[in-house]
Amino acid sequence: MLQLRLPQLKRLFLLALTAAMVGIGLSGCGRGGQDQVTIRFWNGFTGPDGRTMLAMVRKFNEENPDVRVVMQRMAWNTYYNKLFVAGLGGRAPELFVLQTDAFTRFQRADFIQPLNAFIEGEYGLDMSDFDDNVIETVLHNGEYFAIPLDAYILGMYYNRDLFRRAGIVDEYGEPLAPTTREDFLLAARRIRDLGRTELGDTWGFVFAELFNNLYGIATQFGAEFFSEDGREVTINAPENVAAVEFALSLIQEHRVAPPIEAMDSWIGFRQGRVGMVFQGIYMMPDLERQQTLDFGAAPIPTFGPQRGTWMGSHNLCMSVGLDEREAEAAWRFMRFLSDNSLDWAEGGQVPVRKSLRETERFQEMYAQSQFAKQLEYAQYVPANVFVFEYLEQYNLALERALRARTTPQQALDEAAANIREIMRRYGITPREDDAT
Amino acid sequence: MSSHNPNPAAPAPMPSKYGLQRKAPNEIKAPSGRFFRRYGGYLFLLPYLILFFSFLILPLVYGFWLSLVDYEMLSPEAPGFVGLDNYREAMNDSYFWRAMKATALYVGMAVPLVIGLALLMAVLIDSLPEKRQGFYRLMIFMPTMITITVAGLVWRWFYHSEFGLLNAMLEPLGIWVPWLTDPNWAMRSIVLMSVWWTAGVPLVILMAGLKQIPTSYYEAGAIDGAIGWRRFVYITLPLLRPILLFVVVLTIIGSFQVFGQTFIITEGGPELATRVIMHYIYDTAFNFYRMGYGSALSWLLFVVIITFSLIQFRVFRER
Repeated sequence: MLQLRLPQLKRLFLLALTAAMVGIGLSGCGRGGQDQVTIRFWNGFTGPDGRTMLAMVRKFNEENPDVRVVMQRMAWNTYYNKLFVAGLGGRAPELFVLQTDAFTRFQRADFIQPLNAFIEGEYGLDMSDFDDNVIETVLHNGEYFAIPLDAYILGMYYNRDLFRRAGIVDEYGEPLAPTTREDFLLAARRIRDLGRTELGDTWGFVFAELFNNLYGIATQFGAEFFSEDGREVTINAPENVAAVEFALSLIQEHRVAPPIEAMDSWIGFRQGRVGMVFQGIYMMPDLERQQTLDFGAAPIPTFGPQRGTWMGSHNLCMSVGLDEREAEAAWRFMRFLSDNSLDWAEGGQVPVRKSLRETERFQEMYAQSQFAKQLEYAQYVPANVFVFEYLEQYNLALERALRARTTPQQALDEAAANIREIMRRYGITPREDDAT
Repeated sequence: MSSHNPNPAAPAPMPSKYGLQRKAPNEIKAPSGRFFRRYGGYLFLLPYLILFFSFLILPLVYGFWLSLVDYEMLSPEAPGFVGLDNYREAMNDSYFWRAMKATALYVGMAVPLVIGLALLMAVLIDSLPEKRQGFYRLMIFMPTMITITVAGLVWRWFYHSEFGLLNAMLEPLGIWVPWLTDPNWAMRSIVLMSVWWTAGVPLVILMAGLKQIPTSYYEAGAIDGAIGWRRFVYITLPLLRPILLFVVVLTIIGSFQVFGQTFIITEGGPELATRVIMHYIYDTAFNFYRMGYGSALSWLLFVVIITFSLIQFRVFRER
């Protein structure tokens, strides 16, 4: 038992009090003086990407002594509610990152400052350098609400050793990444037939994540979640059903993929037991650190009638209500990040400025430049105010369908009905209600 | 210091048996005045009371108010008073009942397992020589000190049915378990992990309780033939009852509020089989921004926990 006598307790208490006061005093002073503008910069870069970003922040702070950028990182899954609550309470950071799917929610809540004045200003930015399909997601009634920093695109990683062992090589003995449905199935089957390794069975393919894998495939079948005006739910349309049925066939009919796991099947690829896997470009650093794995990167094969894959972007947003000095400093930092997005790309991202992608430096980034080939046809998930709620329904339907607990059609029908219910709660009338 | 006697009717100091005089209460010197004498105690309570009110009572009351309004942060309509509508919605909300069922399942499995195992291990460790007890206690307590994020991620990998450690170890025995992929298995896996993660605290408390039982009781019992199992049932258990009650209540309350394990390991899946009530409240309030409804759900959980706690106090009350 720990026993403290009174004088000891008193001393401890005084010590703690002193420490607390010193702490408060220090944080109050901070570095620099009155002439420095502090920009708080919030994001969800908690992985290796955070280290890359931190290095960029340091570089900016060194080059701009009059500005001090303070970065705050939190995990994406709790990031948005913290940001939202901070925004409601008027304590939003001067600068923050929004992923494309979350963008609409914050834009509707009037948290984001339009940037046209800065873009057209003296220290402006040529918006035509950005890819059209990327920039249109942050454009609202002619106003730019953010500067897209990157595109994280879903692509294919493949195990080159397994490809060689299965004999899927070109005339020089180099592993050959499949681009069509037939080639993909052939490769997957032959890798599965390699049989057991010391760690367990070998698989041709694995669903590393449900949502982005399936959405990527669905876009190849021409699937849409909503009609153009957003009032009709088309998540159970034949195109979506076909995509889910194809995914299911990989597990049931072709038996090239193990039953789905909610997450973490990525480990299987790192263990060298999986031939092909679809994952975001941001997983590349994970593989590069693992020197025992000889991996290749390529666009995902085309399974449907058209090319397609999933992507998202990190968008740099300025908070509303900044004074002139803060806004100027924040803009300078935004431009710095955009101009230097090749540094950012090194950590596993694709820049969304065409001029930067054309550089030799980018072409030498192997996985990034391979995945970037898909940028022109990759698709974002539709961003609306109830995005997280409808995605939950989509995920639920995928789980049920791919575990064969119900048919893909039935699972997606249920999802559609539930999503309509959610829309009504948000005051959006689904088209089905018009007749009544 | 006034010499004024606040209670003139008080009897004069009485001479005691040994001729020593006891001082009348008003002769004891208090720091300052009557006010301090009467309310001084509250001053010491003040720091706690301030925290208690601002971080517990106030949010509780505000939360109750929220549960009566239709506060949806993203809705175009302004929040309005809706009375008990949120509670009525909960009663008809299939997701709410699924979450309640998942929570009940967790509580029903985790509480007996955690308490039973902690008690068993406490008795076993207690029977060891004093010197070696510390080591085992530390070993069992250690997982509790790991944050749930780290523990959860590691177990998530253990549990992976295709690429995980547990199934790899079970394979030579010809066993394959769908740890997290089967809706029926997932909660069992969560419970198993939780037992490992949470048994440390009850164990330490129970061990402290065991140490308080005087050895003379055991010695006297031994003369009457109370050894082994009987010794445990007739001496240890009854004397441990107050401590056991405390541990059981604490564990049940904690189990109703289970969140970290399911949030990290299964993210509520598969097919929402492990989305417990806290997780559903979190999703409702902070992902879907339905503050009013989320508050109503929290209050419902609060009522359930209070009810269970009262029942236990009644059951365990000393007869």
